[in-house]
Amino acid sequence: MAKILIIDDDEAVRIVYRAYLSKAGHTVESAKDGPEGLHRTATFAPDLVLVDINMPRLSGFEVVRQLKEDPATKDIPVFIITSLKQAHHVKRAAAMGAAGYITKPTRAPELAAIINKALRLPDQPRA
Amino acid sequence: MLEHLTASPLFYDYLGCAVLLLAALNAAQILYLLWNKARVERAERRKDRLRRLTIAAIMTSPVPADSLRQPADEEEYEACSESIAGVLDNFEGEIAERASDLLRRFDISGHYRKMAGSGRWYRRCNAIDILSVFKLEENREFLLDLFEKEKVKEVRYRILRALSLIVRGHDDITGLEFRLSALPYLTPKYTEDLFYNAVTSLKTAGREEEFGFFMRQIMRDDRVLTLVKRDCLTACHAAACEDARALFRDYYAAYPEEPEILAACVKALARTGDLSLLPDALRHPHWLVRLAALKSAHFCREGLAEEISALLSDPNYHIRLNAALALAKAGERGRAALRAAASSGDRFAAETAAYALGQEAA
Repeated sequence: MAKILIIDDDEAVRIVYRAYLSKAGHTVESAKDGPEGLHRTATFAPDLVLVDINMPRLSGFEVVRQLKEDPATKDIPVFIITSLKQAHHVKRAAAMGAAGYITKPTRAPELAAIINKALRLPDQPRA
Repeated sequence: MLEHLTASPLFYDYLGCAVLLLAALNAAQILYLLWNKARVERAERRKDRLRRLTIAAIMTSPVPADSLRQPADEEEYEACSESIAGVLDNFEGEIAERASDLLRRFDISGHYRKMAGSGRWYRRCNAIDILSVFKLEENREFLLDLFEKEKVKEVRYRILRALSLIVRGHDDITGLEFRLSALPYLTPKYTEDLFYNAVTSLKTAGREEEFGFFMRQIMRDDRVLTLVKRDCLTACHAAACEDARALFRDYYAAYPEEPEILAACVKALARTGDLSLLPDALRHPHWLVRLAALKSAHFCREGLAEEISALLSDPNYHIRLNAALALAKAGERGRAALRAAASSGDRFAAETAAYALGQEAA
């Protein structure tokens, strides 16, 4: 399957998504803030990145911008995953080059479908 | 006394004893700190392991309670409730149902309801905070009852927050506002958070229109504080209410002399892309309203350059500065207006225009 990096300052969120995505067969790494996320992107070379917006040191938007500016990482699909639902955040994420905007709470099959579509993987039957 | 001590033939013995005693105390303190650090780290590792186990059980097992042990102590309850809260915050549907099922089977809610009866107010606060993240409707009556009995303000604020997360209809939201009015106004962030939760809970329940009804109901209600109305408007925008644009326009028209409400309406409406209030707000006699309009004026690009230029000579420093900054972002027309102001005879306008042009160039 794919290598996925989760960047979120909330430990519970990292554990929850790591458990869910690992169960789906992906190799998952996580980072607790933007700078660590950018470093992990360089070392782990993920196929897809999930990033929160509100984080200390570097916001999710800034992480997306830096990943998209770097020729080595610009082709990695980056999804914003957040509980912020305002339209201006969605527009800003798209303008920064995010591949998608996922709002929490999300339904597991929908999340799986979004990830599989981005990675061009076939949809898995539900367990 | 000191002389008597120093003259004593045993003085150096006393001194040696004192030094030894102090050294022993220091060593004991260091040992205690090391032991405590190890204890806290061990507890954290245990909690972390329990959290991972619980989350793994929720993700993989249709009945997570079958593969886990009933929590036995406070640490285990904490780990279990934090895991469930994490899952509920992030997932809905089947996974969230499994987490809720675990909550019921282990009666975790019951444990924290008992803890909410503690004699120590901070333990009650902690219990209510945990109960609030479960968002269980079945806790409503318990929380309402607790609110009536509770004497400590800090706990009552938390109870309201827990109630805001389980708002399901008109009675709940008016009840929330009624109870909030019984407490001193806390902070804008708290009130906004409370009503933001209410809107999102109503959205989840498919009854978002109830918030619009509520807002219209309190619009002319003098009993409700202006600050609370303002925070409700901000919450309405933050939660992206369906009816928000019409509400902001109606409140703007209804409160021509309430700068707090006018400023909130101008800001919120501009962020939805509706700039219809800006020309009027830029001419408002109260500086807070003019400032709110200026802060949103960059959405207009070149559209309001003339109106903004006029504010470069405003008597209020914040207005002059923000007018110049807004013009710097308003395309070529804005920059031309700034250049003209920078060489004008109005010293205030010239200074702020020069500053904004400098900032833009940097």
